[in-house]
Amino acid sequence: MTTDPMTTEHIARAAADAALTDEEFRLVVRDWIAETYMLERNLRIRPSFDYARPWYNALSARGFLAPGWPVEHGGSGLSIMKQVIIVEEQERFGCCRMNEMGVVMVGPLLIRYGTPEQQQFFLPKILSGEIRWCQGYSEPGAGSDLASLRTEAVRDGDEWVVNGQKIWTTRANDATWIFALLRTDKTVAKHAGISMFLMPMDSPGITVKGIRDLTGGEELCHTFFENVRVPHANLVGELNKGWAVNSSLLGLERVYVGLPKHSAHGLARLHDLMTLTGAWDDEAAVDRFTQFQLDLEDHIALYEAALEQVVRTGEYPANISLLKLSQTELYHRITEAMMDMGGEIAGLFDPLVEHDNLFLSNQFLLARPTTIYGGTSEVQRNILATRVLGLPK
Amino acid sequence: MTGYSTEVGEENARMIRESAGFLRAADRMATVRATRHQAPGITPQDWAVVAEMGWMGLRLSEERGGVGFGVTEFCALAEELGRGLLPEFVVSSIAIAPLLPDALLGPVLAGGHIVIPAWYEKLGEPDHVEAALAGDTITGTKRFIASAQAAHSFLVTTGQGAALVEATAPGLSLTTQALVDGGHFGELALTAAPATPVSGDVARAREEATLGIAAYLLGMAEACFAITRDYLTVREQFGRAIGSFQALQHRMVDAYLQIELARVSIAKAARIIDEGADDAEVARAVSRAKARASDMVLLVTREGVQMHGGMGYTDDCDVGLFLRKAMVVATAHGSAGWHRRRYARLADLRNSRLAA
Ligand SMILES: Cc1cc2nc3c(=O)[nH]c(=O)nc-3n(C[C@H](O)[C@H](O)[C@H](O)COP(=O)(O)OP(=O)(O)OC[C@H]3O[C@@H](n4cnc5c(N)ncnc54)[C@H](O)[C@@H]3O)c2cc1C
Repeated sequence: MTTDPMTTEHIARAAADAALTDEEFRLVVRDWIAETYMLERNLRIRPSFDYARPWYNALSARGFLAPGWPVEHGGSGLSIMKQVIIVEEQERFGCCRMNEMGVVMVGPLLIRYGTPEQQQFFLPKILSGEIRWCQGYSEPGAGSDLASLRTEAVRDGDEWVVNGQKIWTTRANDATWIFALLRTDKTVAKHAGISMFLMPMDSPGITVKGIRDLTGGEELCHTFFENVRVPHANLVGELNKGWAVNSSLLGLERVYVGLPKHSAHGLARLHDLMTLTGAWDDEAAVDRFTQFQLDLEDHIALYEAALEQVVRTGEYPANISLLKLSQTELYHRITEAMMDMGGEIAGLFDPLVEHDNLFLSNQFLLARPTTIYGGTSEVQRNILATRVLGLPK
Repeated sequence: MTGYSTEVGEENARMIRESAGFLRAADRMATVRATRHQAPGITPQDWAVVAEMGWMGLRLSEERGGVGFGVTEFCALAEELGRGLLPEFVVSSIAIAPLLPDALLGPVLAGGHIVIPAWYEKLGEPDHVEAALAGDTITGTKRFIASAQAAHSFLVTTGQGAALVEATAPGLSLTTQALVDGGHFGELALTAAPATPVSGDVARAREEATLGIAAYLLGMAEACFAITRDYLTVREQFGRAIGSFQALQHRMVDAYLQIELARVSIAKAARIIDEGADDAEVARAVSRAKARASDMVLLVTREGVQMHGGMGYTDDCDVGLFLRKAMVVATAHGSAGWHRRRYARLADLRNSRLAA
């Protein structure tokens, strides 16, 4: 699979995509996905990267993997709206998404802060799937208060020696590299002594241990660092500026968390459930369902309005985190209704094969962490209350 | 029950709680965790305690070899069982023990024979019965039987009254479905299976079992709430215990309020049964308590997960055991919605003029 960024073919195709109107582009993407997608749709459990590799490669070859990266770095240089269209159409079709950390976070990070050597080394390998990333931020003692992180890097000549522990590292057991925030200066205010480093997961001294979650899955991991040696060249951005580097990164993913797909999917399954139980004859149930339907439609309006503003101004409005609250908490409520309306089948361990794999318990459990990861609902509310509403801290 | 005394009931309840003290032991949840997804659904150790403590005879008169306790005491025990996540079928088995014939009581009280009720047939309608008792055989299908694999016999409800069917009876076949709490539901297909009819008030036993399950949910919520409260006092972020954040404090108080409402609702229902209320009043009180308890336990366990952050989403965290148990048991004997609908019907809310 060639992903040589600078082929004339690559540049010409990116230019052709850029020339389309958004509506035309959406149809092009839609048709292409329908023709090309070769994996199972709407997978319940995220598969290994190896399983998803053919799709990853196909996206990459078509220029849809990293549509926002500039052309000179192997991306397609497409507008924000077109990037969103690609994600929306994949969600619509039920495509499996892989290595988002690499494409949505590490790539843009390196394009902005990376050295030319880092860019040349990593970017093509992200596009080819050779390097897959996990995010080493949270620690046992540093979750909501991330800036209190303690995993430490101490300088030793041209290298840094890393000791400590990360936790909740999603897919550390399937990733080949980690981007981590590490403490590089203990003598200054907590935000001011943090740096970002890149490390291969097979570095001597890194060990990973899976954490079983409520669904029985093991995507979450402990990642331990014991005298792990990292070359200075793997520092991203300036030393001790890791916090700012990370904050400036928060971009499109803040729009993506507002994608209505979870709620829309949940609501479709609630619809199936009500058909199965005959609840459409129950006015209270219909009222409840309709409330969710209106919540969903209004959420979509909120999402579209935010997106429109981002596209128009090129900036992320301060209240963008309303999207996450609105989406994840609606998803919560829909799955809570499943528990009540599902009656005796609410707690089944397996999907109901005879009912199109209706799987209430899994939906309910999968909804739980959406209000925990990526900043808990409580933290989002604190931020909105103080930074947007201007309430005193 | 005539001559019922609240004081005696409460003193008995205290004793019962004490006898169930092992369910509050620090290592209890490790035991629960280790025994998930294993047939028959209850460990020999747990079952031995149930038998030794004489819990199967709790609602049985002293003349019949039981302890003759009231519903108040029964609910106190059910609450403790919920606290320690002892499999919930035990609550129902205790409630139906008074219906069993004398011949079976000996082995049941000694713990050698487990009878599990099979009430359900139709999803979302715990009262729906089509199974038929003809002569002394039963034909029909019973579903959603908690821990069915543990049963030596089933108490099967039919359109013609309830009857006992042995688990090894000809014409009986049992299939199971796994549940998120690590237990299972059994489905019984009965084709002219030999059955022994029982006499006694089966409907009332069902009401009591339902109330017992509400108390079980209360116990679960209390245990999960205590774990969460403790975590909020020890987990620190931003240099303080997270329990010092008012956003969490207020929600803890909201959960606490729901727990207290459920507690008094259950206690009141238990008392009116013990004091001899009629069927309609009993059913209303039971529905009221069960609707509250079902919603309450899901609220408390969900909040428990959320307030534990990432930890709450792990299998290792005890709140998750309570959450997954709540997903299964909250709808037992009718969901919150089902009980509210039943209440509205029984109380004839549409036509009653409410005191302002
Ligand atoms: C499924 C999943 C995937 C994840 N993936 C990753 C990953 O890939 N990489 C990574 O680095 N991390 C990851 N995380 C970690 C995630 O970012 C943290 O769980 C999250 O930031 C919360 O931190 P915590 O778990 O330590 O909870 P805590 O911070 O301990 O919070 C516990 C509770 O206290 C509340 N709380 C805390 N502070 C306040 C406050 N000031 N006011 C009010 N309430 C407060 C929280 O909202 C929460 O309810 C993941 C988590 C999950 C669940």
